[in-house]
Amino acid sequence: MPREGLSMILGGPQGAGVETSMTVLARALARRGYGVIADREYFSNITGRHSYIHMYVSAKSLPRSLRYPVDILAAMDAETVFTHIDDLGERGYVIYDTGVLQKKLDEIPSMEDVTKNRVREELRRLGVEPVVEDVLNFLRDSKGAGIIGISFADVLKTLMTKHKVDPRRASRYVSGIIVSAVAVLLGLDEESIRWSFSIQFAGREDLVAQNMDVLKFVEERMRSFRGVASLEKPSNSYSKLMVATGNDVVAMGKIVGGLRYQSYYPITPAADESFTIEKYEFSEVDGVSVGPIIVMQTEDEIAAICSAIGAALTGARSATATSGPGFDLMVEGLSWAGANEVPVVITYYQRGGPSTGQPTRGSQSDLFNALFAGHGEFARVVIASGDHEEAFYDAIEAFNIAERFQVPVIHLLDKFLANTVKTVPLPDLNKVKIFRGDISSGGLNYKRFDLSKLISPRAFLGTPDTVMWYAGDEHDELGHIVEDPENRVSMYSKRIEKMDLILRELPPERKFSLHGIDKPDFLVVGWGSVKGVALDALETLEKDGLKGAYLNLKLLWPFPLDDVSKILSSVSLDRVIAVEHSYGVQIARLISMGTGMRIRKTVAKFTGRPITLDELVDALKRILLNNVDRVVLKHGA
Amino acid sequence: MVPRSYKTDLWIDWCPGCGNFGILTAVVKAFEELGLDPSKTVIVSGIGCSSKIPHFVNVNGVHTIHGRAIAFATGIKLANPELTVVVHGGDGDLLGIGAGHFVTLGRRNLDIVVIMHNNGVYGLTKGQASPTLPMGVKTKALVKPNIQQALNPIALAISAGYTFVARGYAFDSEHLKNLIKMAIEHKGAAFIDVLQPCVTFNDVFTAEYYRKRVYKLDEQPEWNPVAEKPEERVEKMIKAIEKSFEWGERIPIGIFYIDKTQSTLEERYSQRIPLYPSIHPAKSNITRDVDKPLIDNNMFEKIFKEYIVDVEHI
Ligand SMILES: Cc1ncc(C[n+]2csc(CCOP(=O)(O)OP(=O)(O)O)c2C)c(N)n1
Ligand code: SF4
Repeated sequence: MPREGLSMILGGPQGAGVETSMTVLARALARRGYGVIADREYFSNITGRHSYIHMYVSAKSLPRSLRYPVDILAAMDAETVFTHIDDLGERGYVIYDTGVLQKKLDEIPSMEDVTKNRVREELRRLGVEPVVEDVLNFLRDSKGAGIIGISFADVLKTLMTKHKVDPRRASRYVSGIIVSAVAVLLGLDEESIRWSFSIQFAGREDLVAQNMDVLKFVEERMRSFRGVASLEKPSNSYSKLMVATGNDVVAMGKIVGGLRYQSYYPITPAADESFTIEKYEFSEVDGVSVGPIIVMQTEDEIAAICSAIGAALTGARSATATSGPGFDLMVEGLSWAGANEVPVVITYYQRGGPSTGQPTRGSQSDLFNALFAGHGEFARVVIASGDHEEAFYDAIEAFNIAERFQVPVIHLLDKFLANTVKTVPLPDLNKVKIFRGDISSGGLNYKRFDLSKLISPRAFLGTPDTVMWYAGDEHDELGHIVEDPENRVSMYSKRIEKMDLILRELPPERKFSLHGIDKPDFLVVGWGSVKGVALDALETLEKDGLKGAYLNLKLLWPFPLDDVSKILSSVSLDRVIAVEHSYGVQIARLISMGTGMRIRKTVAKFTGRPITLDELVDALKRILLNNVDRVVLKHGA
Repeated sequence: MVPRSYKTDLWIDWCPGCGNFGILTAVVKAFEELGLDPSKTVIVSGIGCSSKIPHFVNVNGVHTIHGRAIAFATGIKLANPELTVVVHGGDGDLLGIGAGHFVTLGRRNLDIVVIMHNNGVYGLTKGQASPTLPMGVKTKALVKPNIQQALNPIALAISAGYTFVARGYAFDSEHLKNLIKMAIEHKGAAFIDVLQPCVTFNDVFTAEYYRKRVYKLDEQPEWNPVAEKPEERVEKMIKAIEKSFEWGERIPIGIFYIDKTQSTLEERYSQRIPLYPSIHPAKSNITRDVDKPLIDNNMFEKIFKEYIVDVEHI
């Protein structure tokens, strides 16, 4: 029977093309109207370590969360089979290379010893020999798994002979084998695959033809499996979809939002955003010139933020993108921007800390760093996006807020969003507005920091007949250094009092979104990447009679305490559960700081892997039904 | 525009006799003689006694954070290449905490002038040794003689890629003024190391000390620091670097090196982005119909087509 949705893991050594497999499949599926979400997990390593794609495909919607167990495990190597032994569901399918059948756990050098020991223990407990063949037999016997062996060497040899490809390049086609095997299982039509290959290998018809032959050879070898894991006809009515990562979506948002200067120093998982922007540094469409956008790879993050501030002083919309370690270096500049009321945007992609922590894994543990980093008190805005769609519009709104209120804005995202590929509806740019705030035409009596106004009149460096000064030291209305106590009080207060104005002027939908039923029995609270999985969890729980709502917090600073207090008061506090990818579940503390309401129930995950639907549902049930206070989640490989 | 004085009327809070006064005089004079439009001119400085200079000059002033003036200036200049951007900083600011930015500006050859107030000490924090103070020297604020080697700013700037490298002396304002004018007129990254006596903390490199020693390279008939053709570059560089190590009884000031063979960063960007710098980031439009983004739905699909899938239900 065709399924409504399907989960899979595509795994293999880093650098072997797992990502290509995912992209080709995701596009092909989108082409036929399916919704896709795919998280990419990888080590901080260029080649060799285990990397995998955890993907969910839906015929009903554009999916927003990942789930275990999976229906298909497609393994490029032995390590994938061992590492994901727990992840396959009942009657799932394993695709593997018959060349690794006799491979023993101990023979896998790329696997970390800690993981190896854990897997060895698990196998011992299950009474399975640590050999690929035995693991596969076990999966067949215990879970009724369909075990599909393909001799990769065989397929590649056939291909090499037919196309006279250099055998040293053979491994490049392994991603094609994975794509093909999954496509056959899903019963995906040949045309959508061909179309997707032709996008992937644009301009290289030979590669498209070769990969289509891979599809043919693989199909011959697994004829009896064709369509065994087929999906229902998609019920989505989209005529166009974007298939993009969070990095890409934010880059597009920034470009639409009028970005003109982007600086960055390479860091995972932020750097890809700047690459995407650089591709579009200048475009001419329909007779309109878009840009130029200067994308500057600076010498360090200090220069990244400082040059972005410099560019902002000239009136260009400017931004920088980084993650935790880079943000730490930017803090002195942030403080200067605060002191000088400079609209600059910092796109902050959190990853696992402390220190370099888990450089390629996700986390939400930098909330307080974004809120409080910097010496002295000054106005800043911190906004967070719950998913790709929000991230696009928020990237634009970050500039609007920055310029309207003349404050630095931190747009807080995370690695899960950055690297996750999703099918996203096309944005509607009719909904987008650009607010540039109070731009002054300057003149001889121009005062950059005019005390008669809460928001200073902003003239750009270069405005005719206008001279202005900026200083990090406390300054007077002209921008000159002044230590006078009364000036200090007025200037300092003026800067900070903007925060109230921001709270008053931003509409509720910019501050938070509330999802679910009206009078909920329980309330889940979170921000950022928790949104998708929380919404799916609520739907699942509702089927079990547990009726909840989700509060997705977007404006994290200034904190909308009145709105949040009101929402929280509608439920008993011991039915409020905060969820976060961190140890401390900082959002609960922020809420209690702002509202005095202490949230005791928390779900935390700090493995660096995203929270999946099954584990969140289970955690919420334990909290709601068994009165547990805190659940720490660990699933993932 | 209504003519205004190139000097503000603020009280200048440097110690009486400080070399910075001479530099200020030279800067103001140079701006005047070049007739720079104050609204199109920006002085960017870091932190230190010297870095207070923007407040005393009646052009745009951006007084930033310690060591980062070049980084700020880079964003200003790239976003609006119409502006004349002059960076001021101390030797601690530019070569200690800001060394990475200092070197990078050379690599980029962006059209910015860097004027370093070189007093051998950290003035504003009361006289600690700066990166240009030779090892073994004990100025009066130091508890013990300096334990670190000095670096050679001229050699560093030349090897980093600055295409105009000179040294001036704070109390020869006329000579310094001419250097500043040439540096501003030069296309590309320019560096002027200015010997600046700090009367309060440096009792070794005093005005007395320099007066006896400085001599002008431009008065040496055999001295020709200009690399006109690529094949002259290395030779001129080596000569200039060699010259920069002359320090003792005689201290050369003047132009050490000018390189006319390198493209500026603006030129490199112009090759990649056809409209830059005539339509630059600070000037380019970002909206249509007042508050709508420049990019509409139609354009969005065209620009980002590689991300967009036309769904074909079968
Ligand atoms: C990040 C940081 N560290 C330290 C300081 C303290 N500080 C202020 S001025 C200064 C040194 C200035 O020396 P120099 O750059 O040589 O300039 P001068 O005062 O001699 O003109 C230092 C270290 C600071 N402002 N910021
Ligand atoms: S301490 Fe030195 S550098 Fe600073 S103002 Fe006084 S004399 Fe000038």
